[in-house]
Amino acid sequence: MKIRTIKYIVKEGFLNTYRNKLMSLASVSIVTATLLIFGIFFAIILNLNYNIKAFQEQPELEAFCYTELNDEEINQVKEMLMNNDKIESVQMVTRKEAFEKLKEMLDNREEMLEGYSENIMPVSFIINIKDTSRTPELVEEIKGIFGIESVRYSQRVIDIMNRINSWVKWISTAFVALLTGISVFIISNTIRLTVFARRKEINIMKYIGATDWFIRWPFVVEGVIIGIAGAVLAFILLCYGYSSIESNFHSDVTRLSINFISIAALRDIASKVFGLLLLIGSSVGCLGSMISVRKHLRV
Amino acid sequence: MVEFRNVMKRYPNGTVALRDINLKIRKGEFVFVIGPSGSGKSTLIKLIMKEEDPTEGEVIVNGYNISTLPRNKIPYLRRSLGIVFQDFRLLQHKTVYENVAFAMQIVEATPKEIRRQVPMALALVGLSKKADVYPDQLSGGEQQRVALARALVNNPSLLIADEPTGNLDPEISLEIMKLLSEINQRGTTVIVATHEKSIVDAMKKRVVALDRGQIVRDQEKGIYGDEDKDNKIYS
Repeated sequence: MKIRTIKYIVKEGFLNTYRNKLMSLASVSIVTATLLIFGIFFAIILNLNYNIKAFQEQPELEAFCYTELNDEEINQVKEMLMNNDKIESVQMVTRKEAFEKLKEMLDNREEMLEGYSENIMPVSFIINIKDTSRTPELVEEIKGIFGIESVRYSQRVIDIMNRINSWVKWISTAFVALLTGISVFIISNTIRLTVFARRKEINIMKYIGATDWFIRWPFVVEGVIIGIAGAVLAFILLCYGYSSIESNFHSDVTRLSINFISIAALRDIASKVFGLLLLIGSSVGCLGSMISVRKHLRV
Repeated sequence: MVEFRNVMKRYPNGTVALRDINLKIRKGEFVFVIGPSGSGKSTLIKLIMKEEDPTEGEVIVNGYNISTLPRNKIPYLRRSLGIVFQDFRLLQHKTVYENVAFAMQIVEATPKEIRRQVPMALALVGLSKKADVYPDQLSGGEQQRVALARALVNNPSLLIADEPTGNLDPEISLEIMKLLSEINQRGTTVIVATHEKSIVDAMKKRVVALDRGQIVRDQEKGIYGDEDKDNKIYS
């Protein structure tokens, strides 16, 4: 295809969209709604993955001693852990370190800790495991050691998140499939109106020897314009919503209550979301217009 | 150039529009296809441009076999033909110039070729002065001349006109026919389907007469038909 033909096609596509502006607008809003819902699901999935990754980066096990334990008893615990052949390495977190960490987590609300000393904090051990498949077994063993109050086992959280993740994926796939179907239908109806309004012209073009693609392309361009417009609108709405959630999330009260979950920064996921929205929007538009032109090309 | 071999055409509703058609039209000929409505003229024309396929037999046009030509090759067959219709079929939102240029855009001609060819085609049909006018501002005869210019602009070897004067006054009709004859003298093969007796008689060209789907007469320098014979045929 030659450049001047491409120029003609793009120009015709834009003109069609403009001539058909009311229906185009209606289609754009449907596509926007679809892609907005899709974008919300996608953002949730991205965040779950982000959290799973964050958990995986944490030490695999952290064993907390009773706060009342004295230094000697703590040493005994440490000894026992170091002698366990399932354990790769052990790192002790002192009361002071734990206290500092808590302060840091409370950010500028340190006054809450006034009157308390580091003695309220337990000593803990960060444990690296040799063979992760035997983790549950090891957890039981560690719990049996005298002086250990609890073991934090992030694998379990990861498992739960993975399960949530797969559910969200299923639900979102079903939703998106349904909405995509609706969008294709609506776009194809819009384009059908343009095609119908121009059926005489299409007929004339067929008789003077225009190829099917020459006739079809402007309509495809029209569909893609609608799809892309929908994607851009959905993305703007999504960004707006996400950034307001993001700023709420980082306010310290919420952060304290659900401090084990964090939210991915908008700028980190924006390009991924936008890319996908554009891709879906334009393919839906393309498909919708192809469907509606097909019938009129049979002359 | 155009050849029908034992062609039969039956429409899905059972009507047999053409039967036992054997016809050969050579390069450079001017042929009138005549007959009353329902005689099969339009079907004959439709077969040539592959709007319809023959039920039996073969139709060869410019070396393309109509029955076996795949769908995606139809545009190339039609580009080798110039087609003129009774209802002109111009694009209303394009000017005269643009309508003619559009036929060249479709075949991806260069802008240079378009700038050279379009004024030539418009000059040929005598519409150079109306290049920037829209079709609805033209008379019927002028519109048909635009359609002619469009059909000719890509230099087709064969020009097909289906009742080109059906919507025009007799005087204008004769003008259009003279134009077609002129185009024929420049080497283009011309096939005209018509039922206008006066024109056919005035032109003295080859006449192929159809009745109820069959060729009843094929005559060089013919006239529309001697009345007695035709009356017998049509009765």
